[in-house]
Parts: sequence; C-alpha cells; structure tokens
Amino acid sequence: MVPAGVALAGDMLSIHELTKRRGSREILSGLSFEARPGRVTAFLGPNGAGKTSTLRILLGLDSATSGTALIDGVPFARLKDPLTKVGALLDGSGAHRSRTARAHLRWIAAAGGIPPARVAEVLAVVGLTDDARRRVRSYSLGMSRRLGLAAALLGDPEILVLDEPVNGLDPEGIRWIRTFLRERAETGRTVLLSSHFLGEVAETVDDAVVIHQGQIVAQGTLSEVVGEHGTIEDAYFALTGAPRGGLR
Amino acid sequence: MKLIHAELIKLASLLSAWIAAGLATILPAAVAVLNSRSQVSRGIDAGFQDLAPGVIGAIVIGVVAVSSEYLVEGAESGGGRQITTSLTAVASRSRFLLAKAAAVAVTVALLALLSSAITLTTTSLTDETVSVGTADLPRVAGVTAYWILTALLASGITLVTRSGIVPLTFCIVNMSVVSVSFLLTKLTSWANYLPDLAGMHLFLRDVHGSVDIAPLTGGLVMGLWVVVVAGIGFIVFRRRDA
Repeated sequence: MVPAGVALAGDMLSIHELTKRRGSREILSGLSFEARPGRVTAFLGPNGAGKTSTLRILLGLDSATSGTALIDGVPFARLKDPLTKVGALLDGSGAHRSRTARAHLRWIAAAGGIPPARVAEVLAVVGLTDDARRRVRSYSLGMSRRLGLAAALLGDPEILVLDEPVNGLDPEGIRWIRTFLRERAETGRTVLLSSHFLGEVAETVDDAVVIHQGQIVAQGTLSEVVGEHGTIEDAYFALTGAPRGGLR
Repeated sequence: MKLIHAELIKLASLLSAWIAAGLATILPAAVAVLNSRSQVSRGIDAGFQDLAPGVIGAIVIGVVAVSSEYLVEGAESGGGRQITTSLTAVASRSRFLLAKAAAVAVTVALLALLSSAITLTTTSLTDETVSVGTADLPRVAGVTAYWILTALLASGITLVTRSGIVPLTFCIVNMSVVSVSFLLTKLTSWANYLPDLAGMHLFLRDVHGSVDIAPLTGGLVMGLWVVVVAGIGFIVFRRRDA
C-alpha cells in the first residue's frame, strides 16, 4: 500500500463542491473528495445516497448544477483519449443485447484506436473467452458485469471508476476483483469504486468516502473512517443512520 | 475516421440493421416485378417509383442507429444502456454524433446504390417499354440523397424520443401505408414542402402534387428540414443528461 499523502505519477480524481439538482430535489449537496493514485478509494453509502449520480457527473454523462469533477485536472469531456485515461463500469454490461461480447469490445476498441488484439486479452482477463461469441442477452448478471469490466480495461487506463463492481458477481468473482483492484493500485493507478456491500470492500480499500443523502458524512483512510466504531460496518451504520438490516 | 469505423462496426453487428438492409434491397425489386405485371403503362417514373418504398430500410437504419444506444439491457442484467459506454469511450458528444451520422449516411448510400441497380435492372428486364441508361444517373443520385436525408431525419427524431417505437411507426406509416403528408396537401399546398413530399422530387418526375417543385429545390427543402430536425436532436442530446 502506498501511504496517504505520497504523490505518485498517476492521475487523480478530484471532486469539488459538487451539487446536482433535479427539479426541486437536491441530489448532491456540495460534495468534495479526492481519489489518489496508488490507492483504492471506496465510495460508500446506501442506495439512493448519490453515489451513481456523482460517478456519472465525473464521467461526463450528467451535468453538475455547480461545482467541478476533474480527472487529472480536466473535465471528462475534454479528455483526448478517454479510454486510456479512465476505464468506467456503470450499470449492467453497457452492451447492446443483440451484440456478441466480441463485437461490443471491437467497436469500443475501434473508437479508441486500440489494437483489435486487445479484445481477446481483456476477454481472457475477465474469464469470458469461451462466451465471447454469445449474444449479451443470454448473459447472467455476473457475466454482464465481467463484460463491462472488460470494456473498462480495454485501454489499460490510469484510472478505474467502477459503480458497484462486486454487485452480481459470485464469491469467486468477488475474490478475483479484490485481488485485481489491489494489483492495479499497487502499480500506481487510481481506483474509485462505489459500493453498498461493506464486507466485500473492507479488505480491498485504502481510503473511504461515506455519503448519505447527497452529503459526505466521513472521509479519510479506512482506519480514520472506522475510527472508534470498531468495524467499517459499525462506522457505516453510525454515520448514515441506516437501520441495521435495512440494507440488501 | 476511427469513430466512424466504430459506428460502422456497431451497425454491422445489429441484427435489425441487416433486416433493414434486406428490406431496402429486396422490397423495391419485388415491387418492380409486381408492377411490371400490370398492364398500365407507368411512364417516366417506372422503376424509380418502385424505389420509394425501399426508403423504409433507410428509416429503420436511421432509427436503430440511435435507439440501440438507449435500449435497456433488461433488469436481470443490471439495466444498463449502451449510451453510457459510447460516451465514456468518446468524450465529445459532437464528434460522437457526427460519426454516427456519417456511418448512417455511408451505409444508406451504399444500400441506395445497390438497390437502384437491382431495381432498375429488374424493371428494364421485365418491362419492354422501359429503358434505363446513363441519362438516369442524376435520378439515381436523387434517390440516394432522398434515402440519406430520410435516414438522418429519422435519426434526428429518435435523438429526441430516445426510443425507436414512435419514430419508426410514424415514419413507416407515413411513407408506406397512408401518407399523412399527402393528405395534408388536400388542405394546404404548403404541405408539398413537407420533407418527404419535397424530397420525392429528387428522383420522381411525375409527382401529382398541387405545386411544381424542381428536383434541386425539392432536395434543398428536404435538406433544410433535416438540418432543423437533426439540429434540434443534436442540441437536445448535447444538453441532456445521458
């Protein structure tokens, strides 16, 4: 693990005073946090807390009402080669149902000017080689998530932004992704993942940001956030005021 | 260029695009064969008239190129949509849309040329009164332009609706079953300047409209419609959360 505060050559994600309003409802209220190179940062909070909205703004999919979300100092929309800078995983696989996994990855590779040979590589990394010619509609949730991850890895990016990456994975898959993300961080890359599965992330993450009702309630290294609560789970429930057992 | 290549791969790996290509190439030829069996002399528009229904293929391609981005994967696989992948792979929305429009235009142009060749050959083989020659090339260019503009119009509408159902139903019904535009010409002669009717003048010489429109004028009027509708789609797409 790289200690906090040590600057690496990798790229940083910085979110500053981010606010998002939809109609009269304020979804995000002045969020500020960073995800640093060489570290796995977990973005924790119950469903509906604003995790996905934050990541979508960071990835240029949604606009912010005010504030900034920058990747290595620039907004996503200004990135020249986004695939080699940021790998993103959002809902499902992000593929059209009637395409095969291979065809899906091929068009992404073409768009990013990535050699087509890389498609087979990432399919092997996520363990989908044998199902590469099947249509995505026949995939299980776990397989869809693996395909989404394969797409995120195509450009071998400096930064990974993953929304609920363990969601839908089987225990074997969860174990694999933990190891995988740790390895990414140890090579100096930046990993930001959102999750409401606390147990699954506790062993993987260096830093944690806890969000509740669109506001950050705690952030820092994992041990700072856990503080006197004993475990990340206790800290989480104390910070978000969520009833125990009220989570999936 | 790499973005256009990506959009072409997307189209080529969509089943509905292949069905559309089949419709665009087979339907006009089939209509030509059927028409050649009727005893009525068809005059100057023989063959070209048969190419008009083939535009359905162009419409389908224009619509699915956009609607496929918004198709929800299904709840069991997490409810994702391809648009998020597209916009995280290509940061600039303008470049993404331009590449998509170019891919649609190239695909539809190839289909229009192929379909014209098949249909006009079929017509001249099955109908002795018709002879097709190089003098018809400007009209083939007209058909091609008509198909491209119609496809882009369909794409533009779908950008706003984000679902293929409404634009597909409306465009296909209007172009093939009951022409709403044609009915409107009974009410006002301005309806002759609706995109589909104005554009017909690009390749048909015997249009029974209440206003005489020159081929070039028809093409320009239709082009203007495309600029306006696709422009609205473009602006909406750039401003809206994906």
